[in-house]
Amino acid sequence: MKLTLSSTVPADPSRVFAALTDPEVLRRTIPGCETLTATGPDAYEATLKIGVAGLKGTYTGKAAITDQRPPERLTLSFEGKGGPGFVRGSAAITLTADGDATRVDCAADVHVGGLIAAIGSRLVDAAARKLADDFFRQIGSALP
Amino acid sequence: MRRRRWPVADPNTTPYVGRAMKRIEDPRLIRGEGTYTDDLRLPGMVHAAILRSPHAHARIRKIDTTAAKAIPGVVAVLTGADVNASCGLVPCAAAIPDLKAPKHTVLAGDRVYFVGHAVAVAVASDPYIARDAIEAIDVDYDPLPVVTNAEDAVKIGSPLTHPDLGSNVAYTHNVSGGGNIDEAFRKADRIVKHRLYHQRLTPMPIEPRGVVASYHTGEGTLTLWTATQIPHLIRTLLPGMIGVPENKMRIVAPEVGGGFGAKLNVYPEEALIAHLAMRLHTPVKWIESRRDNAAATIHGRDQVGEYEVAVKNDGTILGLKSKTIADLGSYLQLLTPAVPTLTGLVLTGCYTIPAVKMEIVGVYTNKMATDAYRGAGRPEATYLIERLMDVVAQELKIDRLDLRLKHFPAPGDFPFPTSCGLVYDSGNYAAALTKAKQLANWDQLLKDRAAARAAGKLSGIGVSTYVEICAMGPSKAMPAGGWEWGCVRMEISAKVTVITGVSPHGQGQETTFAQIVADRVGVPIEDVVILHGDTSVAHYGRDTYGSRGTAVGGTAIVMCIDKMIAKAKTLAAHLFETTSDHVVFENGRFTSPGVTNRVITWPELAGEFYVAKNLPPGLEPGLEASSFFEPQNFTFPFGTHICAVDLDRDTGHVKITKYVAVDDCGPQINPLIVEGQVQGGIAHSIGQVLFEQTIYNEDGQLVTGEFMDYAIPRAHDIPDYILGSTVTPSPINPLGVKGVGEAGTIGATPAIANAVMDALEPLGITHMNLPMTPEKVWQAIKTKT
Repeated sequence: MKLTLSSTVPADPSRVFAALTDPEVLRRTIPGCETLTATGPDAYEATLKIGVAGLKGTYTGKAAITDQRPPERLTLSFEGKGGPGFVRGSAAITLTADGDATRVDCAADVHVGGLIAAIGSRLVDAAARKLADDFFRQIGSALP
Repeated sequence: MRRRRWPVADPNTTPYVGRAMKRIEDPRLIRGEGTYTDDLRLPGMVHAAILRSPHAHARIRKIDTTAAKAIPGVVAVLTGADVNASCGLVPCAAAIPDLKAPKHTVLAGDRVYFVGHAVAVAVASDPYIARDAIEAIDVDYDPLPVVTNAEDAVKIGSPLTHPDLGSNVAYTHNVSGGGNIDEAFRKADRIVKHRLYHQRLTPMPIEPRGVVASYHTGEGTLTLWTATQIPHLIRTLLPGMIGVPENKMRIVAPEVGGGFGAKLNVYPEEALIAHLAMRLHTPVKWIESRRDNAAATIHGRDQVGEYEVAVKNDGTILGLKSKTIADLGSYLQLLTPAVPTLTGLVLTGCYTIPAVKMEIVGVYTNKMATDAYRGAGRPEATYLIERLMDVVAQELKIDRLDLRLKHFPAPGDFPFPTSCGLVYDSGNYAAALTKAKQLANWDQLLKDRAAARAAGKLSGIGVSTYVEICAMGPSKAMPAGGWEWGCVRMEISAKVTVITGVSPHGQGQETTFAQIVADRVGVPIEDVVILHGDTSVAHYGRDTYGSRGTAVGGTAIVMCIDKMIAKAKTLAAHLFETTSDHVVFENGRFTSPGVTNRVITWPELAGEFYVAKNLPPGLEPGLEASSFFEPQNFTFPFGTHICAVDLDRDTGHVKITKYVAVDDCGPQINPLIVEGQVQGGIAHSIGQVLFEQTIYNEDGQLVTGEFMDYAIPRAHDIPDYILGSTVTPSPINPLGVKGVGEAGTIGATPAIANAVMDALEPLGITHMNLPMTPEKVWQAIKTKT
């Protein structure tokens, strides 16, 4: 499943880029994040509790940040599983200066399995958008 | 709404047979007084939940059940390594030469092969804790390449569903019959080719599956309640799986909320839950969720084929060639590989086609198994031959009804041997077609279509003339015997207890059998009770599928009645001081005209049989008889369905404006039940043609796993049907009945599809895959306008 999302964060790209690669910020801003541990450079293990219909459940998984070109882009790859099934994929994230703010474009290729797939992709699509919107709003307010 | 055609009969007048009586079983079901599997509550009962694979194909690296076991209330958490050795292999009863079959254990071993594959089971004190427990099981999967399209699966280099089998091809089955097919194609003026896809369907019975098992440790006896169509076949096959002897096993099918073939199976859960009850020394219940039902109960259809018809320019069909790829899914369930071969058996439909050749390739993919679903092979065959007849008529510019009539065998041609190797028992196909035309007001229908087209509307008429295979069947043609057993007992009180080996679950045999028995024995219908669905009551039986209940099971009961009356005549003769041949039995009364004026009725006779103080020498006490009926052939019901549709150019919506079905299932025991069966069957077809499709995405994920995504028709999608019948008795059984369980589904799919294609014909659209959804119809219209 392909997902494209955009959001605007009220800060310049270098600050947004720094926030996106800072585990402390991520732990506070990822919706439902219960634990986030760095397991290596730019590699994390996390537990997420998601309360959105259709995806509801606790997920554990790994994420890694690669292809970093500060402050323009990075690639996030992830795999997680929980009661409702699994999610894995990668997201290319591009940061573009937009006046005083930063436009964040995210193009993700997501594979879901189990119940998450069975309940229909349109629900997953909407749920993923809501989670992403929440995340970028949180990032905006969490910036130092 | 149109009023019911059938005045519902007064239950107090006889004969009962042939009258539209309300079903005896309905009041308890309507009032919520039926006992379904989920209604059972046994002392000490625990609840099982099954963890299913979210991957279509993966290696299982590790399963960690520690956290699940630690949840308070959890009794056991078990994996394939724990239970498979004790549960045997899930059986496939179809005998296909050179069949490559994977070993089908009840829980996955080190690999999973489809989304929904059972991986582990948790047992807990309540069902919610069991569900929590399966979510706490940690399975480490290593995803493997997936194949979900059967046509791709046969290509070189395709991922393999079962790498150990070395190929995705399970079998290749060839049917050839009649004359020389190559000569037929050489002599043809024209070869008409067409490709047809019969999409995968999910049966979706209202009640999903469910199992309750109880093991008596002291006696070593197992009782298994299961939502099944086939308690007896399970009792035949389960002993070999779990090691409980057949005579210590009781299988009960309580009320069953819809089967449609989906419950004509031995499922892994039946062995697994039985094993758990034995292992844990306490009763265990498992109830399938709707989502699990969509993923792990069999699917239907999923065949794609290329077809060629050799024709003369005058429309004479010389031969038919086909190559069908049947998607079996990842495992063989009870009849999985046999279903596509049934397609081959009625490929020629109700037509004289001198030569046929069919190749069927059964293919494994990473999906749930397909198996018998309402019609099982016959809907596929009928859809293809009926689409082909329309395509041929269109290409040759011949009237499609004339083309059909030209190839019907005449009533005098029966028993009619077909090129596919069957012998059709009886038929009058033209009579059904004529009657359907009358009921549809055919000429007016054509005028209406012309007027609608002239006004710029997309209006179409579809016809299908079908024949199908019922009353399954002669034992030599069935995997595990096709006979049926019955027992009729008159109690000391002259009440009649009937036990049947068929296992009705909606077909209404508590009513139709009571009608037959009440008439033939000559007792009020309320004095007759029909028992079924419990192997400790009905010791033998071959259960309910393939419209066999009344034609085969009903005949066994008729045989019992004949034996019981013969025995009763012996006692009556003794009491009349004459011989049996001087005893006349009529309407429940025994007389001996010319010998005595005395009349003996059942209460007197039944009392004598059980008190047993005045029996003639050699006559055993008791008044009951049992019989096995072995049919010598299948029966072949037939009919004509006519459907008219209007398409909405702006939305692609298909509106059925008229639906006429004339079905000939032989004499009707209860026309109200026949009508109900036909109505339900047509509704299934409306679903198949206009809405339903089971879809797996390229990752093998089931994306139609619930009613949000799997569209079944709703009440407002079902038109008011005009139903009629003709009556051509079958010579195969004394009731003359043929069966009607699948007729609606078999006749209706091509009628509706042909109507939609007829509506699209003026736009030059000659092909559309099922289902003909509004989106697909709209896209097709849009590309041509």
